[in-house]
Amino acid sequence: MLEIKDVYKSFGKTEILKGVDVTIDKGDVVVILGPSGSGKTTLLRCINFLEKADQGRAVFGDIDVNLGTATKKQIHQIRQKIAFVFQSNNLFNNKTALENVTEGLVIGRKVPKEEAVKIGKKALDKVGLTDKYDAYPSELSGGQQQRVGIARAVALNPDIILFDEPTSALDPELVGEVLTVMKNIAREGTTMLVVTHEMDFAKDVANKVIFMDGGVIVEEGTPHEIFVNPKEERTQKFLKRVLPEDFTYHI
Amino acid sequence: MSEGLNYKFLVDTFFIALSGVPITLFITVVALLFALPLGFLLALTRINRIPVLHRFAQVYVSFVRGTPIIIQIFIVYSSVPLLLSSLFTKFNIGMNVYDVNPIWYAFIVFSFNTTAVLIEVFRSALSTVNRGQLEAAQSVGLTDVQAYRRIIIPQALVVAMPNICTATVNLIKATSLGYAMSLQEITLKAKVAANVGYNYVEAYIDIFLVYLLLCSAVEYAFKLYEKRLSKYKPSVV
Repeated sequence: MLEIKDVYKSFGKTEILKGVDVTIDKGDVVVILGPSGSGKTTLLRCINFLEKADQGRAVFGDIDVNLGTATKKQIHQIRQKIAFVFQSNNLFNNKTALENVTEGLVIGRKVPKEEAVKIGKKALDKVGLTDKYDAYPSELSGGQQQRVGIARAVALNPDIILFDEPTSALDPELVGEVLTVMKNIAREGTTMLVVTHEMDFAKDVANKVIFMDGGVIVEEGTPHEIFVNPKEERTQKFLKRVLPEDFTYHI
Repeated sequence: MSEGLNYKFLVDTFFIALSGVPITLFITVVALLFALPLGFLLALTRINRIPVLHRFAQVYVSFVRGTPIIIQIFIVYSSVPLLLSSLFTKFNIGMNVYDVNPIWYAFIVFSFNTTAVLIEVFRSALSTVNRGQLEAAQSVGLTDVQAYRRIIIPQALVVAMPNICTATVNLIKATSLGYAMSLQEITLKAKVAANVGYNYVEAYIDIFLVYLLLCSAVEYAFKLYEKRLSKYKPSVV
């Protein structure tokens, strides 16, 4: 469904991405793991044109765009199909939870307001915020804010949702509620590309795990392949460092 | 000089000074109508480092801020008529430049002056809005213009409000310098009244009070508006 091909990106003289390919099929939950600085976030941001790649292609159904030279119109086209959940949620501070969710529908996609409100309420119900429609972001906890962020993405009914470390900025006790919401929408068949450090999420929810290091994909496979039988030494070292002693993989 | 204040004159002149308020407000409003959009656009060129324009804005700000308003007034008031009269002669326009109402010069000076102030006000306010707000807006399919109009400007405006208020109050006070080009505003009217009987102390007290009232009212109005704009913010004491 979405093919990302040969993405290169440098910031100044530092090469962040050195030729990355990712293929995502409908209904996939793909998790990208890797040490910080390995280019995971940059890859996600290049796919949604929040960063301009130096080169690379995105093939999305019948749309085939160059990630480095896409026109405004093409960028707009791609963004209509992709939603993004940010690490620091980036909720619109001047809008209520419901307005945050409906903004993209009403303004970005020209959905009639009444219908957008209906969709927005449903999305907020789904993430367990039925009683927070009219709350401003400043009145919500970090976990609730991130759940609004997810509702904002879900409401757009995109072909794929990109998650950029959605739990890394949260207090530990708030991580669970966000992961639960993500698991639920994954079970509903939402296609997701997730950058995370939550190994349990990768293990339980993903059907494909990608390990990145130094701007390239070192290894990819099923969670079983990556967590139980990693072939590459770099993957083994990384997992040894980040996995707790008692981490077990079972199906 | 030992009879103290002339209270009757004090009261009468208060109303004379008060009759200059419309002119003061008129200049203030015109200057703001000119400076708010222009200042905002030039602030955008500064923030997004638009070539040429961003340099122009920078130089413009340092010129205007680096010179006293009274000197700017003298320069405009003395050079523009010269320029105009040479133009009038060249194109055979039968109009005397010295018939031009000085309010036009006031519009020019105060508009350009306030623009420079507001460029910096908007620049600092816009930079307080996290870049993530724009990215989030883009990611849900808003165009940049929509993102600015609906997400970024409303937030920047709340931050800018106290400084816009200060700029407005400063502008109101600065219009008192208009007396230097015989503009019929608060200061000049009271001073002219005082000329007759040398009641300058009374006139100055009146001028003082009128500006105080005017500026307090404007500050109060701004506070109310700011409160309404910032309804999304956690209430801080």
